Amino acid sequence: MSTETASTEDTSGSGLLPAWVGQYLRDHTVHIAVVALFVLYPFAYDFLVGQFGLFAETLLLRPRTMLTVLWLGLFAMSFDFVSGYTGYLSFGHAAFFGIGAYFVVLGYNGQLPLLPAELPFMTLLVLGALVAVVAAVLVGLISFRLSGVYFAMITLGVSEILFVASKNLDFITPGGSDPADGVTPGTPSSVETFNPELGVPFVDALQVELGAFGDTSLLGLDLAPMFSETSPAIVVSYFAIGAVVLLCYLAMQRIIHSPFGRVMIAISENEERARAIGYNTFWFKMGAFAVSAFFGAIAGGLLVGYQGFINPQNSFFFLVTGFALVAAIIGGLKTLAGPLFGYLFLEWVEEFLAREGSGGGLQPFLEQNIPDSILDATISGGLTVSKAMDSFMTGHGEFYAGIIFVLFVLFVPIGLLGTLRLRLGTESVSKHVSRKIAARFGGDK
Amino acid sequence: MTGLTAALDPALAAGVPLSVGEVVDLFTSPTEFASVFVEGLAKASLYLMIASGLTLIFGLMDVINFAHGAFTMYGAYIAGTAVLALGVGSMGLVGSVATFLLILVGVFVLLAVLGVVFEVALIRRLYEYPPIYMILLTFGVSITMEELMRMLVDYYNVNSGREAIDWSIPRDETIPESLDGTFNLLGVSIGGLHPFQILLGILTVAGIWYFLNETRYGLFVRAGVEDDEMARALGININRTFTVVFAIGSGLAGAAGVMLMWSPLWRVNVPLALGVLLPAFVIVIVGGLGSFKGTVVASLLVGMLDALATWAFRVEVVTFTDIDQLLIFAILVVMLILQPRGLFGVEGQGDHG
Amino acid sequence: MTLLELDDVHTYYGQSHILQGVDLSVEEGEVVALLGRNGVGKTTTFRSILQLTPPRQGSIQFKGEELVGKDTYEVADAGIGWIPEDRRMFSRLSVEENVRASVPGDASEAEALELAYETFPILGERADQRAGDLSGGQQQMLAIARGLVGGNDLLLVDEPSEGLAPKIVTDVGEALLAASESLPILLVEQKLGLALDLADRFYVMDHGTIVDSGKTSEVSVDDERLRRYLSA
Repeated sequence: MSTETASTEDTSGSGLLPAWVGQYLRDHTVHIAVVALFVLYPFAYDFLVGQFGLFAETLLLRPRTMLTVLWLGLFAMSFDFVSGYTGYLSFGHAAFFGIGAYFVVLGYNGQLPLLPAELPFMTLLVLGALVAVVAAVLVGLISFRLSGVYFAMITLGVSEILFVASKNLDFITPGGSDPADGVTPGTPSSVETFNPELGVPFVDALQVELGAFGDTSLLGLDLAPMFSETSPAIVVSYFAIGAVVLLCYLAMQRIIHSPFGRVMIAISENEERARAIGYNTFWFKMGAFAVSAFFGAIAGGLLVGYQGFINPQNSFFFLVTGFALVAAIIGGLKTLAGPLFGYLFLEWVEEFLAREGSGGGLQPFLEQNIPDSILDATISGGLTVSKAMDSFMTGHGEFYAGIIFVLFVLFVPIGLLGTLRLRLGTESVSKHVSRKIAARFGGDK
Repeated sequence: MTGLTAALDPALAAGVPLSVGEVVDLFTSPTEFASVFVEGLAKASLYLMIASGLTLIFGLMDVINFAHGAFTMYGAYIAGTAVLALGVGSMGLVGSVATFLLILVGVFVLLAVLGVVFEVALIRRLYEYPPIYMILLTFGVSITMEELMRMLVDYYNVNSGREAIDWSIPRDETIPESLDGTFNLLGVSIGGLHPFQILLGILTVAGIWYFLNETRYGLFVRAGVEDDEMARALGININRTFTVVFAIGSGLAGAAGVMLMWSPLWRVNVPLALGVLLPAFVIVIVGGLGSFKGTVVASLLVGMLDALATWAFRVEVVTFTDIDQLLIFAILVVMLILQPRGLFGVEGQGDHG
Repeated sequence: MTLLELDDVHTYYGQSHILQGVDLSVEEGEVVALLGRNGVGKTTTFRSILQLTPPRQGSIQFKGEELVGKDTYEVADAGIGWIPEDRRMFSRLSVEENVRASVPGDASEAEALELAYETFPILGERADQRAGDLSGGQQQMLAIARGLVGGNDLLLVDEPSEGLAPKIVTDVGEALLAASESLPILLVEQKLGLALDLADRFYVMDHGTIVDSGKTSEVSVDDERLRRYLSA
């Protein structure tokens, strides 16, 4: 929309800017502030780690982890879009994540019918998302006749079938390796190495190559000199993927604030009533499911774009949905952006207490700062404090995530963003939340 | 798509002509058929032990207990540790089996106590919340329990918790020889553990049936399943009934884990938790939520099909490794399309949240 | 002695304020009718007494003991029986099991069954049938039987005649009359004639409060005093 057409529509506008611009900026102050923080983060990280070394590394999420937060956050948002806003728990949501991821790989390797090998990443990303939409419609046709547990279970059943298939179908890995171990785009010898370009198609300046060894410059600006503690390629991928996630978020947010979104919310609150008013709720649910499948698949495609690898465990697996659910609750179900912050929080906890990934976390900090005499002290049967710290503080993030999740379910059931919005008075407690919860949070007077 | 069809059609994928002869053999050879049938019963018994606790808890409390599989996994680890510590296997067949049964009872009690703690400390706080919160809570508890076990096996170097490979030592070192291989009965080849598993399966069904139909608590449970508010208004302390049912369900989950420890297909490992949870869900849903009869029938159905699939894989009619898992979820999807409330489901149960 | 006393009871469903200060009492040995149009809060009054929908304010004393804050099963154990509006059989349980489930922990099931079948012989004949297969009248009898065997000192009876044929209504009325000789009853009933016949006193409810009360002997079925609040 151009400024001219908008300002003619707006007759009450005064001053230099049409009123809607001011209104738009005011409405989106929070969005702008949050985006600014995300943009500044890699620079701040690099600076702080440069200044404070291990201490900062202990406390801060590495930019590489922030990348994971972006695509998993997008996936969790797409999960919230259908599960939170319509109340239909999509327990097999990982199916769409996996379809998006595997479509990029199989399409690139030329293993899908009608598609030539080596299509551009952007094309595969969008086509994969459309395939996910088709899959969602097919699943929806059988599952939206059911509700509650039955709906959750049928979606779970479909995703498990895909999970088992992705572990066993030999055609997935043309090189003859075990499909359960995963697959890389570019495996067949006839196919070139995978160099995914993300951005505006046909405009070179607005595209970047993703990956740990991808581009290091963005919009013609070389980021390499600005970073000493972080790989500039990671930062470039972070910005590019972040931009896509932002666009997806804004699109979903538009839908939720549209009349369509209001019907979705009406369905979650009282489907009978929504139907009585005259809405064909079946197609509204289907629409919501399809949209959420689209963005879920985009998230999966982005994962492959950066990592250039996918395995069943990180795509179709039940726990991929499980952790989206965890993130959605911690961030706040029915808040859309909340699940991304939920993931941010979750990843921080996991990195801090379990040093998931490579480095950072509390354990190396303690190892360095606790005297050896304590570290080598024996607890029992030759097992030392050091060994205990190694066992309990490395790689077991899910333990801490689980505890935090349970605490949230019990004490902060509307999540971080839900609570924040309630406190600021920008949103009342949803009717979906029972009286008891509402009473605890003061919404029920 | 050609690749997909090829892989789904086992004969094409394997590059061998479809062995129709093998299928005919199964139905013309009584001994072969009987052996698959017995294996099916044994598998059904294991599935039943896992699923019956789940269905009891769901039927009364509307709680989809995602931690159920974790309880089974804990049962397996505790039993594995116990058989090794007590030296089961070096006691002769009778001594070993007797000790095994003692461990079974012990684990049942231990896990029942854990179930009580879980119910009283956590589950009870959420009865008035929307049902989805119960799924969330039990899911959170299950990932915490699984990861705690990974930490413990890592710390004690039991096996690589991170790699989550089988902890096969309890089976390898303690299973009595006569229960290990197969034996021949009237020309039918039967796995050594199968009669044992079937016996416990029958005991489970009989025990639960007796509890539900012949005890006063069972009466309360059935009343509470139908209308917990009315049951309360008649003076039934439904919360205590919940606790008792949760204890029994958790104990059964643990006891199932004890059985799995010696089973060559499962053994002891952390992924066991999810590995048993998902088929158990399928059975409970296919049978109809809240119907114990349905769970028994669905266990038989899934067990038999699983045995058939295993047989098909063994004689290479099928080359798809995880055919049993694929089949289980296919049953779920097909069933929900044909009969949305399962075999014996009741209107209204499980529709919300 | 006052058996049941409600004092300024306020009850909510979510945000809606249903009972807005209800005061009423039931004395030993009397039958009290609670009258009023649909939706004025009669059933909610019962649910509040039973703590199924606990009041947010006010006190409910039974035999001098405060009920607010207790669990529903404790209210039942204290001696309050409920014969709810739609009877709420355990329809998949047999008639016999329905009766047995109502027997307090320390009482004899055999005696309870004997009492139930003596009062309603038809229930004895159908002891093994599923309660869901009974006719409406038989279900009402079973509901009353459950109240009788529960070791209760007060029955809350909600719309006992609803949906029943006239002949059956008479039977049910007689059964309640017989029960009232040994048991005080708080009764909600749309059929004014039946209510006035059974009750010694009445309360009239409107918009969540008591607006009138008196002895049933003071009023008749087409009294203007009752019509104001009862006609639709």
